[in-house]
Amino acid sequence: MRSMIHYTNLGSRLLPAFGFADRSPIVRLEGDFGRWFETALAGLAAPACDNHFPVDVYEDKDNTYVRAELPGVNRDDIKVEMVDGFLTINASRKSQVAEGKGEESFSFCRSVSVPENVQSEKVGAAYENGVLTVTLPKQEETKPKKITVAVK
Amino acid sequence: MSLLQNLDPTLAGSPARCECDCTPNAEPTVRPRHEVSETDEAWGLQVYLPGVAKDGLEFTAEDGQIVIRGRRDWKSPDGWTALYRESADAPYELVLRHDQTIDVEKIHAELKDGVLRVSLPKSAAVKPRQITVN
Repeated sequence: MRSMIHYTNLGSRLLPAFGFADRSPIVRLEGDFGRWFETALAGLAAPACDNHFPVDVYEDKDNTYVRAELPGVNRDDIKVEMVDGFLTINASRKSQVAEGKGEESFSFCRSVSVPENVQSEKVGAAYENGVLTVTLPKQEETKPKKITVAVK
Repeated sequence: MSLLQNLDPTLAGSPARCECDCTPNAEPTVRPRHEVSETDEAWGLQVYLPGVAKDGLEFTAEDGQIVIRGRRDWKSPDGWTALYRESADAPYELVLRHDQTIDVEKIHAELKDGVLRVSLPKSAAVKPRQITVN
């Protein structure tokens, strides 16, 4: 989110001479990194998430699959939602810190853009060895009808 | 498991790795994310190994170092095409050196949902001892 602040500072981007004067090289570098990441992940990452996790997307002829690495999460703490062509995965990990210090909780979320032809009501998910696999069945293609016209 | 090594993972690098398996490591490995904690009684190690099942895990403790190797259980079935990848297929490998203050016989490890939790009890000599003053 911090990088967004740098972008609004358009004046210094357009006028490098002035930009160099009022922004330290480190701040500029930070802004550049942020921009690279946002470009690379555009469309895949929703900006509202703090903690990301690696995601793979696969496809075969019937389904699209999204695999997410979420080690050490309870099945009850994983929420998978389909909204407006985006698959959103929310998860939280609770871990016992050293005795007497109580519990630590981390939350993760990630949105992945999925193809439009998904049958949202048939989406399924499985969790195994710390990896979540979401199966998104494709809509059956409406087959073009073949009509034979008898010529008399 | 010196503090120095925890701060700079590169110190745990290749020389130690070559000693343990004499063939040079041809296969690239991924160093998994891990956390180390400490109590009076033991060191705690938590290693994140998503995709590793119990069968694919190898854990050795010898000569002052702990080696954890994990092979991913899952391979993409035939007919699956990868559209976008962020994870790696390479096996995990974590080598941690320690200063021989661990009671190797009593190491306890548990793998659940891709997280390996290891308890490394300190040997009696290094545990804090209460000394009564007369």
